[in-house]
Amino acid sequence: MSLVTDAFVSQIAAVEPWPENAALYQPLKSEQVLLSDNASCLAVQAFLKMCNLPVQVVCRANAEYMSPSGKVPFIHVGNQVISELGPIVQFVKAKGHSLSDGLDEVQRAEMKAYMELVNNMLLTAELYIQWCDEATLEEITQPRYSFPYSWPLNYFLVFQRKWEIKRKMKAIGWATKTLEQVFEDVDQCCQALSQRLGTQPYFFNKQPTELDALVFGHLFTILTTQLTNDELQEKVKNYSNLIAFCRRIEQHYFEDHDSSISSSTKLSKGPTLP
Amino acid sequence: MAAPMELYCWKGDWGLPSVDPDCLTVLTYAKFSGAPLKVHKVTNPWRSPSGRLPALKTHDDGVLFQPSKIITHLRKQKYNADYDLSAKQGADTLAFISLLEEKLLPALIHSFWVEGKNYVEHTRRWYAESIPFPLNFFLPNQMHKRNLERLQLIRGDSWREEDEDTERQLYTDAQECMSLLSQRLAKHKFFFGDSPASLDAYVFSHLAPILSAKLPNNKLQQHLSSLPNLCQYCRAILTIYFAWEGDSGPRITPKPQSGETPDTEEEPHKRRNQVLSVLVGLLAMVGYAVLSGIVSIQRVGPDHALEQGIAMEDNEEEEE
Repeated sequence: MSLVTDAFVSQIAAVEPWPENAALYQPLKSEQVLLSDNASCLAVQAFLKMCNLPVQVVCRANAEYMSPSGKVPFIHVGNQVISELGPIVQFVKAKGHSLSDGLDEVQRAEMKAYMELVNNMLLTAELYIQWCDEATLEEITQPRYSFPYSWPLNYFLVFQRKWEIKRKMKAIGWATKTLEQVFEDVDQCCQALSQRLGTQPYFFNKQPTELDALVFGHLFTILTTQLTNDELQEKVKNYSNLIAFCRRIEQHYFEDHDSSISSSTKLSKGPTLP
Repeated sequence: MAAPMELYCWKGDWGLPSVDPDCLTVLTYAKFSGAPLKVHKVTNPWRSPSGRLPALKTHDDGVLFQPSKIITHLRKQKYNADYDLSAKQGADTLAFISLLEEKLLPALIHSFWVEGKNYVEHTRRWYAESIPFPLNFFLPNQMHKRNLERLQLIRGDSWREEDEDTERQLYTDAQECMSLLSQRLAKHKFFFGDSPASLDAYVFSHLAPILSAKLPNNKLQQHLSSLPNLCQYCRAILTIYFAWEGDSGPRITPKPQSGETPDTEEEPHKRRNQVLSVLVGLLAMVGYAVLSGIVSIQRVGPDHALEQGIAMEDNEEEEE
């Protein structure tokens, strides 16, 4: 989003309160959504719940193509459409809801840094496993990604996306990594998060921030998604405080006050945490 | 460990030990950790054993070329600058390195390699002047293309060249990143107290080129100069750790350090290049002359030589 629209958005946003009919669009849950997309969608849902902003989750097979940036999820609020966590956080902040206001400067810098760590390592690892590991690609990614399309579009779109991801991996130096090394990176990242969390309930003590939402989105998705093998899950399961952290957010924000039906069906459908 | 490991990296300029952020990271880390490296400062990536820079030639692991891998290798060899850090600080290191790579690096690539004026007037000129003769015609362009592609892939689909909005977003991110770093550093000497760690190597090597390069259009530098603690931090590292190499020009100092290899190889290359370029020039001129008929070569028997000579003179007169 550009600065001009940013300024525009924040002006308008400040005036209008959060509407009742706000909607969050994401791909179909049971048939289509992939690991990385599910993580991003869950992160945004968790963030909005932490802000106590009601949003209706709408699943669309073509959500990816509806989104202004080509990435899911995106929210439709009033007459605004905003995609991805970063811009959504800014937008919500302009509306007067912020989770990170209580932090001092150093903490805010650290929060941003850890968010980039998650994006840089967990998200990239998820993409790698999804698109560059042949077994996962064939068994999971290919049928799920091409679910809404018929022949020959299904092959073409999968091929196109795979090629794009592979080029990206090459550009950031991940193309030469083996699956083992990627798991090691995930482990390193989880270790860092676990160290940072320590025994606190949230990353910055009592109050959740957008970092908590992001970490929850990724770790919860990894923990509850069945892949071709369990190695990725096992890496996360080594850290008991991260599992407790996921369970805490799940119970606190997704279970007791079931404001939106779709999120509770999602959780009943997905396996719960061990 | 018999011989020291050999490191190949771009040569320095603008008061820096190396112009390339990746090479600078490795060099700085080596200084911090006290690893004895034999440094080859080259201007031709083809001279590196892996074809790219930086590259570390090791005894048992072959040639490593990614900065993170090189640093991991040095760490395994007991040259660890992060030895005193707590686990939480180790986690912070990872997080801030990610922040640098995601937010600052794209803008850094953009301002050196993609922004039209900077690329043409500064970066391409520097590399064209530094890279030896035949390669300097296409290597800078190749690097430009590779960096442009890298930027496009890092930023995803939303990146379009010449798009002001995405460009502005890029610089906003980078400026935010620098402000965050400045806040995190506050009044400390280094990021984790009084001794430098690997994070300092990364931060320094991403900020120092911004600070030292004289780009015609340097938005990042403008922002960085408004953060006095970061500027001070970069200058301090330069003076403490690179006091010998910075000011006096890197061409003098690395040579005794890196042994005789660059000395003996630089000179003949230069001479050969001079001879080659003169030869190519002469060949072009003669070729042009022959093709356009200014000079014509005819094979004649000895009897007709005189007549032919006269005929040729006539020819020339006609043309004049």
